[in-house]
Amino acid sequence: MTLPLTIDQITAHYGATKVLEDLSLHVADGELVSLLGASGCGKTTTLRLVAGFMQPTKGTIRLGDKDLTRLPAHGRDIGLVFQSYALFPHLSVMNNVAFGLKQRKLPAAEQKARAMAMLERVGLSHLADRLPAELSGGQKQRVALARALVIEPPLLMFDEPLSNLDAKLRVDMRVEIRQLQRANGTTALYVTHDQEEAFSISDRVAIMDQGRIMQLDTPETLYQRPANSFVARFVGFENLIPLTVTGRDGPRVRAVTRDGAALSLSQDRLGPIPDAFILATRADGLRVSGDPAAEGLAATLGLRTYLGRAYQYRCEAAAEPLVANGSLATPFEPGTRATLIPDPDHCAILMPE
Amino acid sequence: MSRSIHPALIAMTVLVYIFLIGPLVIIFGASVSDTTFLAFPPQGLTLHWFENIWEISAFRRTIVTSLQVALVGTFIALLIGIPAAYALNRHRIHLPGWLSTLFVLPILVPEIVIGFSLLRSVNVELGVPVFASLLIGHTLLVLPYVIRVISAALASFDFSIEEAAVSLGSHPVKTFFTIVLPNVRSGVIAAFILAFITSINDVSVSLFLTGPGISTLPIQILAHVEQFFDPTVASVSVLLMMLTIIVMIIVERTLGLTVVAK
Amino acid sequence: MKRLAGWMLSSPATLAVSLFLIIPVAATISVTFTAPGGLLAPYAEFFDSAFQRTVLWRTFEVAAITTVVSLVLGLMTAYVVSRCPPWMKSVLIILAVFPLLTGVVVRSFAWLIILGRNGVMNNTLEWLGLIERPIALLYTQTSVVIALIYIFIPLMILVLIGVLENIPDDLLQASASLGASPTRTFVQVVLPLATPGLIVGAVLVFTASFTSYATPHLLGGTRQMMMGTFLHQRAMVTFDWVSASTVAAIMVVVIMTTVLVMTRIAKRLNPMAA
Repeated sequence: MTLPLTIDQITAHYGATKVLEDLSLHVADGELVSLLGASGCGKTTTLRLVAGFMQPTKGTIRLGDKDLTRLPAHGRDIGLVFQSYALFPHLSVMNNVAFGLKQRKLPAAEQKARAMAMLERVGLSHLADRLPAELSGGQKQRVALARALVIEPPLLMFDEPLSNLDAKLRVDMRVEIRQLQRANGTTALYVTHDQEEAFSISDRVAIMDQGRIMQLDTPETLYQRPANSFVARFVGFENLIPLTVTGRDGPRVRAVTRDGAALSLSQDRLGPIPDAFILATRADGLRVSGDPAAEGLAATLGLRTYLGRAYQYRCEAAAEPLVANGSLATPFEPGTRATLIPDPDHCAILMPE
Repeated sequence: MSRSIHPALIAMTVLVYIFLIGPLVIIFGASVSDTTFLAFPPQGLTLHWFENIWEISAFRRTIVTSLQVALVGTFIALLIGIPAAYALNRHRIHLPGWLSTLFVLPILVPEIVIGFSLLRSVNVELGVPVFASLLIGHTLLVLPYVIRVISAALASFDFSIEEAAVSLGSHPVKTFFTIVLPNVRSGVIAAFILAFITSINDVSVSLFLTGPGISTLPIQILAHVEQFFDPTVASVSVLLMMLTIIVMIIVERTLGLTVVAK
Repeated sequence: MKRLAGWMLSSPATLAVSLFLIIPVAATISVTFTAPGGLLAPYAEFFDSAFQRTVLWRTFEVAAITTVVSLVLGLMTAYVVSRCPPWMKSVLIILAVFPLLTGVVVRSFAWLIILGRNGVMNNTLEWLGLIERPIALLYTQTSVVIALIYIFIPLMILVLIGVLENIPDDLLQASASLGASPTRTFVQVVLPLATPGLIVGAVLVFTASFTSYATPHLLGGTRQMMMGTFLHQRAMVTFDWVSASTVAAIMVVVIMTTVLVMTRIAKRLNPMAA
């Protein structure tokens, strides 16, 4: 059995410091939602509140129809995977996995059978009698996963589960986590600071900052259509250019930068453009053209770096330091006058702050 | 925070702390009692028993001896303990494993056995004077604390800083004093204080190393209590507790008290 | 060169310990083997005497009771302290450090005032109407045990706070998330992980109370002699140094054996070391 998680307007404090404010979040049945953000953004606090290691100052947390808010941690029935794995060092792999079943007072034989079956699923049945200290990082991670899954919780939570693994293993393990979560159809809340990790395994991602959710969307939407400049910067939009509309002609919009440089854009592919807006692009969404007369932003190129697939230029345009990519066919020297042409498929229109 | 603790456990803890602190409060009360015997709660208030400490020459003498032995003994222990701790950290691979065990022996061997053995061998057989024997005993007693505390400080010292200094042309000996020592300063202070307090409070080693006119304060307290059951000892105890408080304040100001807890 | 530097720097301390500890203690012990009357005669004499057997047994008993009681009280207290909010934890730690830094003589002396004929305890009992005239509380085994517990409980509390704080919070949270109540978490997770530390604390208190002098001297007197006070009496009152050396040797053997055996057990029980 698996249940949806509803966090309703919770506020939380550490002593006098407010760490979460009016945070609401719904994770649908069987969905995997990630909380993504830098350290101190409140993602771990949210998880600790749901786990019951902390009490919110206000708001409610529900799992299905059950109100968890005032339940003690051990009464919540949530599977939890820790960053440190938190395996009991004095118990064998088998007894670690069976720990939750033992608390549920299952018959010893059934505890053993179910723990063994789960170890088989994560491919560790041959290590059942080992102590955690004798396992590799990846194996520990699998035991932690098995221990959380074997109690068949209606909700699984992950607290930076992969950050202690090396890069290669991290990719393998996140695929494995996703497969197990999918196969069981368990609702899951996943906390990480690693964007690639969050985007690759989540149905939806909540990008957090200073105790608030800045945007909650599918990875695709977040990556292509950030809703505000915080999220845009977070997902790697290097260029945020404030613009003001000076004229409209059908779908075409003419706008100027703060220092008066003009730019023409089409609403066909960018969507409706308000009178004041921010044009956000990544470096590969701003193409360098050697033709100073081309339609775009006039710029002076600076330092060139080689990226393999393109050259990247630091440049000065419209009083903004910008980053733009140019083709490998025609390298430009620093100081060259050029035009930066925004690619409408790789731009986002944001409201000014 | 959902850190619920069973009320019975909290009640137990409160009782344990009353048990810990209560007797010390009682000493304080007894030290100001205007009676010729030890009484609590105090009957009447007087500071007479504090004056009495100075009127009894044995207390005057032993306080001086205790301070001398504690200061000099601790100083010698630092003098030989710091190089040993440094060697144990820096040259561990070149030194045998039993060396660090050797340095904990003064804690491992019962103090009273050390005291008695020093009396037999050093004082009686070698004819070393009582005061010097006492000094040897106390140096030995505090040496393990000095080595352990300074080793702990050195363990968290990044020796590549020392190598950097040497690579910049500083002589190794000079580097030790200008680079290493200042960085483990708090360890040295902690070691000094721990050693000083241990020495001042010692009974079992000093017990055998007393002679005509030479004794330490704790031994004098034991002797006085046997003959007189008056509040003088309570006042001496209060003085010793005040010394402890001063030391704790110094530690708190310079290092934070958690150092002592370790 | 480097090898030499290490030896040179550690040699003063090595020399001091060898000259003033190893040789004198070895000399003390060797006396018991070369005494007139044949090999081990001093030991035969020691164990032949009912009085001396009683002293040894009493010392064991007092040290064991002191250890067990301090362990239980210390563990409960340390558990509560380690779960307190930070500021309160600091205060409670300071309140435990203070008695620890106050000398054994001073702290034992406090119990003279409490347990004496006109002491706090007798006055209180009289006032409560539980007794009619002062009863003898001093110079009993109980008075020695109470005072020793008092002396060593701060040490136990501080050691055990360290032990409990070394158990990662994550493990306790993992246990709770898997459905274990605080009590079950304590029994199934905290206690097994704390066992090596509990053994260390117990060894510290056992050896220190087994070899204590000031406390049994002040509160037990000649009636409740323990190994420490007995050694002193033999050495400084009856001047029987062979007998005193025998007592010393027995103490060394008991302490060394306890320490070696228990630290080995503690090491084996340490799951983190595997």
